Amino acid sequence: MKIEKINCNDVMDHICESLGEELDSQRCVEIKKHLNDCPNCQKYFTSVEKTIEFYKKYNIKMTEECHKRLMKKLGLED
Amino acid sequence: MSESELIKKAQSGDKKSLAELVKKYENTVYNFAFKICRDPEKAENTMQETFLSMVKSLKQFDGKSKLSTWLYRIVMNHCLMELRKKKYKFVSLDDDENENTAETVIPDWSSLPSDIVENIELRKILDKAISKLTPDYRAVFILRDVNGLSTEETGKITGLSVPAVKSRLHRARSFLRNELSRTLEK
Repeated sequence: MKIEKINCNDVMDHICESLGEELDSQRCVEIKKHLNDCPNCQKYFTSVEKTIEFYKKYNIKMTEECHKRLMKKLGLED
Repeated sequence: MSESELIKKAQSGDKKSLAELVKKYENTVYNFAFKICRDPEKAENTMQETFLSMVKSLKQFDGKSKLSTWLYRIVMNHCLMELRKKKYKFVSLDDDENENTAETVIPDWSSLPSDIVENIELRKILDKAISKLTPDYRAVFILRDVNGLSTEETGKITGLSVPAVKSRLHRARSFLRNELSRTLEK
């Protein structure tokens, strides 16, 4: 089997697929290997992870008034 | 009481069970609606419309999919309708124009504390960046990465195939990362 050589650009294009995905293809194994040895790509990977983390932590709390208005609208007041 | 028992009771007209179902999902629906439309008032309106639809059509719910999937789909459709009305100008990620241009030196984000998300300015930056995405890219990113749903479930909610979910997720992540990078590294 021909093993593809991975460069930084490939990693830039495909690294994101590896976040939360199954990684057992030959290409992904090569990407992992490259990632272990390339500080620049590690930084890129971290920045994508941080981006996701920021959006995950950005939640808003539903107010009690908002809940009451919903129940009233549905005719389900306590 | 299990969810399916609650649904059966609510379907037969039991208001207490219906109220229980609403309470169970109101926060999920509200936050998902907010994350799609980025506006608390619109999120509340979408949430109300979603539960009104649920109440109206609950008898037709056959339990083949999860109730949450069904609710997410109603939120999605409502938000899409609203966004289409406004005719926002979104960034198209369907071509390769927005693919990564190789950065020679990538700044290190590892020291950025994740609690900076409490910062109002950062929240504005996050809102601005995600608002540039078309609703389908936005929904895929939120459902898959933020809410942690599977690729398959995300596909069911958005009506996209599994490969389409994967490619949209990849492009949405890169786009958002690059948008934040441009602002945070100034």
